[in-house]
Formats: sequence, C-alpha cells, structure tokens
Amino acid sequence: MKGRGSLAIERTLSYGVLVLLAILVLFPFYWMIITSFKNEEQMRSIVSMFWPKPFAIENYQQLLSKTEFAAWYGNSVFVAVSSTLLATAVGTIGAYALARLKFLGRGFLASATLITYLVPPSILFIPLYKQMQGLGMANTLSGLIAAYPSFTVPFVTWLLMGYFESIPEELEEAAMIDGATRFGAFYRVVLPLSAPGLLAAGLYAFTQAWNEFLYALVFITDAKLRTLPVGLASFITGDVYGWGSLMSGAVLTTLPVIAAYIYLQKYMVEGLTAGSVKG
Amino acid sequence: MAVPAAELRSKAVVRSGGAVGLRRVLGPDHRMGYLFVAPIAVCVLSLVAYPFCYAIYLSMTHKLVGLPPIFVGIENYIRLTWDGFFQRAVVNSFVFTFGSVALKLVFGVVMAVVLTSNIRWRSFWTGVLLVPWVAPTVVSALNFLWMFDGSLGVLNYLLVRVFRILPQGVGWLSEPGTAMASVIAVNVWRGFPFFGISFLAGMKAIPAELYEAAAVDGANVLQRFRHVTLPGIKNILIIVVLLSTIWTFNDFQIIYILTKGGPGGTTMVMPVFTYETAFGAQRLGEAIAVALYLLPVLAVTIMVLARYMRKGRRR
Repeated sequence: MKGRGSLAIERTLSYGVLVLLAILVLFPFYWMIITSFKNEEQMRSIVSMFWPKPFAIENYQQLLSKTEFAAWYGNSVFVAVSSTLLATAVGTIGAYALARLKFLGRGFLASATLITYLVPPSILFIPLYKQMQGLGMANTLSGLIAAYPSFTVPFVTWLLMGYFESIPEELEEAAMIDGATRFGAFYRVVLPLSAPGLLAAGLYAFTQAWNEFLYALVFITDAKLRTLPVGLASFITGDVYGWGSLMSGAVLTTLPVIAAYIYLQKYMVEGLTAGSVKG
Repeated sequence: MAVPAAELRSKAVVRSGGAVGLRRVLGPDHRMGYLFVAPIAVCVLSLVAYPFCYAIYLSMTHKLVGLPPIFVGIENYIRLTWDGFFQRAVVNSFVFTFGSVALKLVFGVVMAVVLTSNIRWRSFWTGVLLVPWVAPTVVSALNFLWMFDGSLGVLNYLLVRVFRILPQGVGWLSEPGTAMASVIAVNVWRGFPFFGISFLAGMKAIPAELYEAAAVDGANVLQRFRHVTLPGIKNILIIVVLLSTIWTFNDFQIIYILTKGGPGGTTMVMPVFTYETAFGAQRLGEAIAVALYLLPVLAVTIMVLARYMRKGRRR
C-alpha cells in the first residue's frame, strides 16, 4: 500500500501539471485582453509588455465607431438565437420519437441522424452554397439560419436521445395509465424532467452557431451582413486596423460564450461528454 | 417516409378494414412518431443528403462560376491524382491530422489523469481546462496569429528577452520550417480538452475496487494505468480518436486564418485547397473533387465510428 510520502508527491505533481496546463490554456486569453487595452504606441514599444500602462479604451471606441462591428454583433445574435430555437425545437421532438416511440423506420432514421452529424462541412459547403444561391438565399442571414441545422440539429438530436433514454419509461407509462395521452406524457412528464438536457443542448447549438466560420465566410459577400467570426477575420486582410482593435473585437466576441459557460458550466460539461460518448 | 406510409395506409385499410393492421405494420406510435421526426427528415434530406449527392455530381463536371456545368466523368479525379499541389495537400493533411491527434491524445490523457487524482477544486480545474474548447475558434486562431507574430509577438518576446532561449525571434508562421508545427500546436491547444473531458467521464465510470485490487497485487501507477484504466476507457478512446481524426482532417478555420496554406504551400491542407480552388481559382467541379477525393476513407471511418457510438449508448 502507498505511504503518506508518495501520496504527497503524487498530489504535488498533479498540482504542478494542472498549473502548467492552466497557464497554457489561459495565457492567450490574458494576452488578448491586455492587448485590447493597449494603445498603438504601447504596442510598438516593449515597455510594460505584460500590463497596459495606461489603460486605453480607444481600441473599443474605434471598433464601435469606425467599423461595422456593432452590425456584425447584431447579425451574430440574430443568427445564433434563431438557430438555437430552431435546432432545440426540431431536435427535442425528433429525439423523443427516436428514443421512445415505436414506428417503422426508427432505427434507420436514428442511424441517418448520427451519420449526418459526422459528415464534415468541408464536403457540404459548396453544394449548400449553390443550393442557397438557387433559392435566392445566398448573401442573406436567413440563408445561414437555413444551413446551420445541418450541424446543430443532428448534434442536439443525438445529445437528447441519450438524455431521454436515461429517463425511466415507467414514469410515462404511469402517466398514461392515469389517463394522459402519449403527447401529454411527453409534454408534462418527460419535458420537465429533461430541462437540464434541453439547456445543455440549447447552449451547444448556440455556441456552434455563434462560432461557425466556413458557411458564413462563403455564403455572405456583403460586408454589412457578416457574422462576428468572419468580420473579425476580415480585419487581418484590411490592414487599416491595428491589433488593439482586433483584440478588442475578439474580447467582445468571446464574452457571451464564456459568460454562459461560467454560469452553466455543469450542464455544458455534461452535454459535451453526452454528445459523443457516454461513460 | 410520407409516400410509402400513405400507400401502406390505403392497403392496410382495404385488407383489415381498420387501424389494427396499420398499427402492426407501422408500429403502435407511428402517427406521433412520423410527425415528430418529419422536421429532422427534412433537415437530413435537404441539408445533407441532397447536397452530398449534388456534390458527387458536380465533382464530375467542369463547372466555372456563372456557367452551366459540363459533364466530364472522373476526369477531375484523374487530373488531381497527378497534380503536384494536390499531392502535397494530401500529405500535409495527413501530417497535420496525425500530428495533432497524437498530441491531443497525450495531453488529453495527462489532463484526465491529473483531474482524477486526489486534488481539491476539481470542477474548477476542469472548467478552466475546458475554456479553449468553448471559446470561438476564430478568436483563438487570431490570438495565436498575434502571439506568433514575428516582430511584435509575445512568444518571441518571451523566448528571446525573458527566458533568453533563442538568440533572435522566429517568424513562426512565415518560415517553412516552423509553420506546420505552429498550426499543429494551435489545433492541439484547442482540441485536447475534448479528449481530456471524455477520458475523465470514462475513468469516473471505472469501479474503484479495480484500482484497489491492482494496488493490493502490487501494481504501480503505470501498471494500474496500463491494466485498469486503458481497458476501461478503450471504447471512449476509439470514439474520441476517430471523431477527432475526422474533425482535424476537415479543420478549415485554424489554418485559413493562421497561414492560408502558406508559406509556399507548406501548410496547405485539403479543406483550404478546396476553398482556394472554388473561390480563388473559381473551378467548382475540381474543388469538390478535392473535397470528395478521400471519400471512401471518410465513409469507412464514419461507419466504424457510428457503430462504436451506438454501441456506447446501448451499454
């Protein structure tokens, strides 16, 4: 059996590795934040490299007044919120049917949904773009909202199928014996019990839509209609803007996702593992 | 589903004169079932199945932007096979994918092992280490682009002025010798938390008695890992590695933002090559042929992976 000494060594080693990993993980964000508060002059000089001196907010002012960042923010919120509502609604009822209801073709459709989740966007982006063009939806935000279910819906469905399968079927049977319809059992018994799962699924759909880059890059040609990821990336080619403005945009883009994550970490961690694997 | 269902319905009504036969053929919950899966079916058909078939067709055409496609059979594929730029993109894709996945595996195992060891504030540490996975990839890529900057980047500042490891700064992304390693590093940074958290979930499910029994038998840390932990997370390990292989192979944004495939094509991978062929050179048919070139490999990977994922659920 292990002695007290070796336990202490193991623990110290664990903390050492954790601190190293945490620095590795957090440093880019620390650097992003302090860069966003440095003015152009400070960026060039190498005095006070690791802390902005003085704290300058001009990057943020410039970003909001001289670029279309505010419009992009609105676009991203609109696209991500719509996609989340759509994917959660479609995924919830679909996952319930695939997890619980008995009907011909269920197994086939469950497999098809899973395979869909695994088909990479790099294969689909050109034909989807042509499709959206044909429908007159290229270069519109509704085109993005129409295309995003290709990855949000399969993921949400797969995640919630696992969730519904873990709820004991007896609960619904009891409700139906008491006179509830199948739909009533789903609506009044299963849905309330699945609230944490729905929250995790919705959060993931939101993050995926908020972070999506390839479709938004290809579908949208009008600079005003860009979403945040594409808008931010466009700053590197338009060399008018310095790193300070770019990083202040990066901070504002990360904010909603990280805020949601800090408040709802527990659900997101559960959802993350349920999405691909179940222990 | 709708058409055969309607046919079956009329037949069933004729044959058994009621809903009983219908229920037997389509299942007891078919009404609510079909109603509930209809949106998913629409989604899968119109956003994945149809574009996929359309992609296969387009890959067999000469399609210039703005002109109708001309059917040419497998000519695009044959031409690509002997195209030096394409060959290099394939090789780069494999280097990028295997390098990244192998390192993510190592970092993921380390993360899971330290998070299951005897530490305080476990959920705090887990939360911190997951941040790269949650943050927008574009933001992370831009952060690294800035940190890797040859003249003002903080990485060179740290290595040259603070730690004095290097005599002078390196253009991490602009020199052929370091570009691939740099983009791999960013992909690993972003992706290893997913490995870690998945292994963590798997390791939590291993009964503690197994470790105790192994310890009683005199197994040391490494032996316990080899004989208890690894077999316990084998399925999850296979799923995560395959999933990450697909994602990494098709990763577009990190390389597009960091190098656009440069310098001199040293980091040109297939997804970026696809994008450049389609929207730079404006040759859509050939671009899709690039994306579909390794379809047989992708299809087999997806089938194997889907089987493991469904098996993981049934347990």
